[in-house]
Amino acid sequence: MKHTLKFIFSISFLLVSFIGTAQEEKKKDSIAPKTEKFGIRVGIDLFKLTRSFYEDNYRGIELVGDYRLTKKYFIAAELGNESKTVDELNLNFTTEGTYLKAGFDYNAYENWLDMENMIYLGLRYGVSSFSQTLNEYQVYNTDPYFNEGDISYPGEKFEGLSAQWAEVVAGVKAEVLKNVYVGFSVRMNYLISNNKPESFDNLYIPGFNRTYNGKFGAGFNYTVSYFLPLYKSTVKAKEVKDAKGK
Amino acid sequence: MYPRAINKSKANNLKTELNFMKQLLSLLLITFTLSGCEKDDICDPETATTPSLVIQFYDADSPNNLQTVTNLRVIAPGFTNAISGTTGVNKITIPLKTAEDTTTFHFIENGGDADTSDDNIDVLQFTYTRESIFVSRACGYKVNFDLTNTNTNLLTSDTDNWIQSIVIAQPNIETENETHIKIYF
Repeated sequence: MKHTLKFIFSISFLLVSFIGTAQEEKKKDSIAPKTEKFGIRVGIDLFKLTRSFYEDNYRGIELVGDYRLTKKYFIAAELGNESKTVDELNLNFTTEGTYLKAGFDYNAYENWLDMENMIYLGLRYGVSSFSQTLNEYQVYNTDPYFNEGDISYPGEKFEGLSAQWAEVVAGVKAEVLKNVYVGFSVRMNYLISNNKPESFDNLYIPGFNRTYNGKFGAGFNYTVSYFLPLYKSTVKAKEVKDAKGK
Repeated sequence: MYPRAINKSKANNLKTELNFMKQLLSLLLITFTLSGCEKDDICDPETATTPSLVIQFYDADSPNNLQTVTNLRVIAPGFTNAISGTTGVNKITIPLKTAEDTTTFHFIENGGDADTSDDNIDVLQFTYTRESIFVSRACGYKVNFDLTNTNTNLLTSDTDNWIQSIVIAQPNIETENETHIKIYF
């Protein structure tokens, strides 16, 4: 079963076609009593980690963790640190900082037997503390007469900047080995407060990612995590007609 | 009874997996859609960026009347190309250097035609302070100029200046919607 799931999880990243609309048949069957594991899950964002290796302008790490509160609800948090140099047409800057996101996840997925997979929705509140360094810029001039293209290298560092935002999360977590989970999530961010430098803007915020003209942003992560079971609880099946089980 | 139940559970199992896969794929699709909104960064031409200097020409004898300079040619010393759009108009815009505090121009009366014998060159030197201002991600920075505390004697005297006087109407060069310099001749 776990192997099947592992297989499905990996190949679904490659195959985006081929999905028939299998009908949902709500038929109650005899279900064995399930046991559900409660505990803490800690992991790391693989995307940020690998990106740090292949992208010169990026260095980042994100630790993720969640704690199962009830059958459906999990307290969840991400803690990260990023350093990113952005090269735009007319400017180049480096953002460095640390962020923390905390909130909860709601597992909307009904697991079969003792599986512990998740398809979840969640909310986070994010805070970030960072600095921006303006490495270089070129003055934008619509009149090219002098054709100066003069580039300034101010190397100016704006410190003590901060931002806060709310995040809506949608994701999946699948148990691929015993207690080892692979997860993927997408995030929509909404900037609540943004402490900008006087003569520059926060064009990138660690944790929030790139900022746009409005207050919205987006992000995702691809995690691998380890589940540390603390206790088990037996869940009474809702309709046990005959306690045959396995 | 027993084998049948197992078969049923297998079928159900498969269904659950399919369902899981479907939900997973829709999630992926959302991600792909989101990642599509990256390079949208072009500086809108309507955005106020580095302003040019706006100059208007007036009749020295009746200072309220605009007057067109005959075949005006405006060129920076050492340059081979003149500023375009300076002939047949009483209002011109010229750029200031954003990397230096001084910009010099030759205002040449009758310089716009092929005949160079009647050219009258007046040299104007603009000295200013500069301020770099952040505009946006796409546009980067602009430079505003300030002529306030600089030498108001813009015109270099020669034996036959065609320009009689120059007034700095707006020393803060921040927009091109107003006249910064008035030249009387």
